[in-house]
Amino acid sequence: MRVIENPRLRAVLRYGIPFVLIPALVALSAVLFEGQRYLIISLGIAVLALLLFMTGFEKRNIGSRRMVITAIMTALAVFGRFIPLFKPITAICVMTAIYLGAEAGFLCGSLSVLISNIWFGQGPWTPFQMLGFGLIGLIAGYLSRVLMRSNVLLLLYGVVAGIAYSFIMDIWTVLWYAGGFDWGLYSAALLSALPFTALYAVSNVVFLLILRKPVGNKLNRVKIKYGV
Amino acid sequence: MRFEQLNPFTVAVYYLCVLGIIMFSMNPLLIAIALVTSVLSAVIGGTAGKKAHLFSLAVFLIAAVLNPLFVHKGQTPLFFFNDNPITLEATVYGLCAAGMLTAALYRLRDLSGVMTSDRVLYLFGRFSPQLALLLSMAIRYTALFRVRWRRTCDAQRALGLFTDGNLIDAVRCRARVLSILITWTLENGIVTAESMESRGYGTGRRTSYATYRVHRYDVILMLVCIWLTAVSAVGIYYSKAAFYPELSMDLLSPWGIAGAAAFTVLSVLPLIINGKEAIRWRLLLSKT
Repeated sequence: MRVIENPRLRAVLRYGIPFVLIPALVALSAVLFEGQRYLIISLGIAVLALLLFMTGFEKRNIGSRRMVITAIMTALAVFGRFIPLFKPITAICVMTAIYLGAEAGFLCGSLSVLISNIWFGQGPWTPFQMLGFGLIGLIAGYLSRVLMRSNVLLLLYGVVAGIAYSFIMDIWTVLWYAGGFDWGLYSAALLSALPFTALYAVSNVVFLLILRKPVGNKLNRVKIKYGV
Repeated sequence: MRFEQLNPFTVAVYYLCVLGIIMFSMNPLLIAIALVTSVLSAVIGGTAGKKAHLFSLAVFLIAAVLNPLFVHKGQTPLFFFNDNPITLEATVYGLCAAGMLTAALYRLRDLSGVMTSDRVLYLFGRFSPQLALLLSMAIRYTALFRVRWRRTCDAQRALGLFTDGNLIDAVRCRARVLSILITWTLENGIVTAESMESRGYGTGRRTSYATYRVHRYDVILMLVCIWLTAVSAVGIYYSKAAFYPELSMDLLSPWGIAGAAAFTVLSVLPLIINGKEAIRWRLLLSKT
């Protein structure tokens, strides 16, 4: 795994990519191309996510181990998406982010969407879903100290993530449908998505509750045993 | 060669062109063509079942109704609903948007069928080998999780530890199986990483397993796609389709007709290619 040597460049990439470059790319895809170049845009986001992930690596021999573990957690999230109605994808991304770092969380979220959409259908929604889940993982990674210590805050994060995800996705729905932003349509979309929003939030809480201890212990163990 | 067997690049270019025109143009004529041809190719190609057609119909109806209900721009009110005018312009725009949405959904379903995971990997691998490796590992582990899930369940059942009796038992058993699965796969993954390291991962350029060659046929087809798209784009540019504040359409100018014709050919290109192959196959059979 190649490591970016310059620490200043690494810092710029670490904060510039998630908060400036990726939102700009998504806005570009929605406004300029009206969502038509989703394949290229999602590709761009995936590449940026990988670059972000790579900035987190310090040593070479740790890189490939962390990469394999991230791939496994991503696969777990994809596998979980086949469960009807209740989706553990957010919970798994959050767990990955807390134990393996913010970058791994971002990668786990965005790539699991990309992969599972091979079965569930790729579309112009792919980059937005990738961004949504990626950011859920990334922010959880930045809050990892707090989330690891407090159970209540972790569950609260699950609820907030579920609601925020729904809000982000509805912005996309309105942009694609109306070609521009419209508050009436947005509130209508939010209202019609209410059952799904509730379902997201509930399933996040349930799966965080179930997975927190066992998955956390396992990841911790692998981290200590193999020095990931 | 059937359309699905072409180089993934050609297929990607084709769908990029078609989807681009469908989503970029709010031209009623082109949207009508797109809707008809995409339903036609879904029916002939057999990519959509009865359920999928019903779903698309529902999407079309909901999208068509939503716009006039919430958008009240336009000068020609048809009737009033809750003291809000339902305008002709918003209704027509809603129909066009719904047609665009439905046609795009049909095309995307086609695309999902054609772009299998190995093809996606091939496309991505060209841009970033490391991303491709991560993706391929994740896809591999997804498949592995399914196999191992079944195997662990079987083993637990044989041990008498797996019951489906009531809901709590069922959930608890599955949680245990999942826990076993994660431990197993994580340990296994470390071995994989170790093995990769010792074989020199990251020391040189990666080669890829899938070898799709770019034939002359692929290049010609790509050029034809791009040319047809360009003609359609010029057609869209020269035909006027404004919805608000008043409908003002000029769709049947010479360029507009040329664009529509080019888009029709582009839309049915896979059907032409597959039809040609079917005829050739018939001829070969009849000769022997």
